[in-house]
Amino acid sequence: MEKLEILDIINSIFIDVLENPEIKLTEDTHAGMIEEWDSLTHVQLVVAVEKKFKIRFTSKEIQSWKNIGEMVDSVMEKIAK
Amino acid sequence: MVFTSFEFLGFFIVFFFLYWFVFNVNVKIQNLFILVSSCVFYAFWDWRFLLLLVGSSIINFFLGIFLYKSSNDFHRRLLTYFGLLQGLGLLFFFKYYNFFVESFKELFASFGIQFNVHTINIILPLGISYYTFRTISYILEIDKNKITPTRDWVIFFNYVAFFPTLLSGPIDKPATFIPQLEKKRSFEYNEGVNALRQILWGFFKKIVIADNCARFTNEIFDNFHNYHGSTLLLGLYLFAIQLYCDFSGYSDMAIGFSRLMGFNVTKNFNFPFFAQNIADFWRRWHISLTSWLTEYVFTPLSIALRDYNKVGLIIAIVINLTLCGIWHGARWSYIFFGFVHGCLFIPLILNGTLNKKKLLPKGNALPTVKQLLDMFLTFTLIVLSFAVFKSNNFHEAVTYYAEMFSGLFSKNAYVETFKFLLWENLIFLVVTILIFILIEWYGKEGNFAIEKFGIKWIKQARWAFYLTLLLFIYYFAGEKQQFIYFKF
Repeated sequence: MEKLEILDIINSIFIDVLENPEIKLTEDTHAGMIEEWDSLTHVQLVVAVEKKFKIRFTSKEIQSWKNIGEMVDSVMEKIAK
Repeated sequence: MVFTSFEFLGFFIVFFFLYWFVFNVNVKIQNLFILVSSCVFYAFWDWRFLLLLVGSSIINFFLGIFLYKSSNDFHRRLLTYFGLLQGLGLLFFFKYYNFFVESFKELFASFGIQFNVHTINIILPLGISYYTFRTISYILEIDKNKITPTRDWVIFFNYVAFFPTLLSGPIDKPATFIPQLEKKRSFEYNEGVNALRQILWGFFKKIVIADNCARFTNEIFDNFHNYHGSTLLLGLYLFAIQLYCDFSGYSDMAIGFSRLMGFNVTKNFNFPFFAQNIADFWRRWHISLTSWLTEYVFTPLSIALRDYNKVGLIIAIVINLTLCGIWHGARWSYIFFGFVHGCLFIPLILNGTLNKKKLLPKGNALPTVKQLLDMFLTFTLIVLSFAVFKSNNFHEAVTYYAEMFSGLFSKNAYVETFKFLLWENLIFLVVTILIFILIEWYGKEGNFAIEKFGIKWIKQARWAFYLTLLLFIYYFAGEKQQFIYFKF
């Protein structure tokens, strides 16, 4: 799966979970840039991404992401295995 | 040397001129000057604990570098645990040791077993809860590869012991504060004026409102057996206002003095009494502590418990808020306070409204009836939970509640409360508080209430407003009270 394809899927997950159809993610997007994305919704987003791609992140991986790009990289790494 | 004393004002004026006009040769010299000033400031309080502060800073400075250099996972984990142990160990020894010993003694005694460990006479080093949280944050951020450690010990020491925020926060994260120490700062006139406005508002909150409230809350809480339930309830409302004005007033001063030095310190309050539910309140109250706990306690916990859905979230929130209570000190009442606040989140989690952000009307618009009702109910809930902060122990808080609820509708209760309002011009203070709340409402979109207040007025009218605040501070200063959050 291509990076952009993953980004698109994650974008639709964000729209669903955060109930905001206007979200447009880029690799540089981080939590400070989307109002609804806070510590509470973060876990819901992670769970939704894990379910969609049928993968499981470690706690350390989740906490080390600085932006969406790093989340996408983690997904790519997992599905490639 | 508290912010509201003439000693501090003298200290800061001298500091300010030397900082901008003598030591502004380069950033290194300016930083060294901040560090020396922070040490002088802290030594004024208690020079003995300066060694503790310096020791803790040295350990964490080197720990950060070793941690960053290490590529071995086991070594990294070991170094991180050492950093945590050092920080939490200090806190445990100074803040919680006696509490644990006494609690264990009571527990064992209830089974008829003698527990032979003695409590020790310890003074709590001022600011320890705040600077320890800064050092822990530094180590954990390096461990998560979110920052690189600084190699400049002056910068690191300044991050830990920056004097405007040393004693009572706000607790800045290294990623936002350290870069400010690394770059050259310049004095901006408009920023300076705004900082003075924030300091003035902080002074007003602390000296006029909080210190005057203290007189009445001390009277009510010290003699609560003599008052009816309705007066006890009034005492709680007044105490909530006092606590807010005391701590947010302090924070305004700390942020204001930092801004005069060219630093942006994290916001600590966002008009918490306009919160419309408990989650909204915790997004607005003592923000730097709650975001610290969210980052290092709630987030890892909620990630670890993510398979348990709502139950996992409830457990994570209750543990997080209970720890928030314990942070305030070693007392059952603080633990109870945190636990109850955690439990108050449960209805929001169960009905799925936890994520729904509560918005306030924009500009000068008034709140709707529903918003007003939500704000009043949330405020009352918060007010009721604050008795534990004022009482000397858990038992006293419980007795206060019992007498308050049982005496709310007793004969002549409200007549007595009305008479109490007339006592020593309390009614004048209540009117001042109501005007204060109105100003806060109209200024709620700014970083502090009077940031933009009167900005469109003619200059003379705006200055008349500032002068009125100064006159209030001069003529209606309450009896000097120590900042409540210094003891935490």
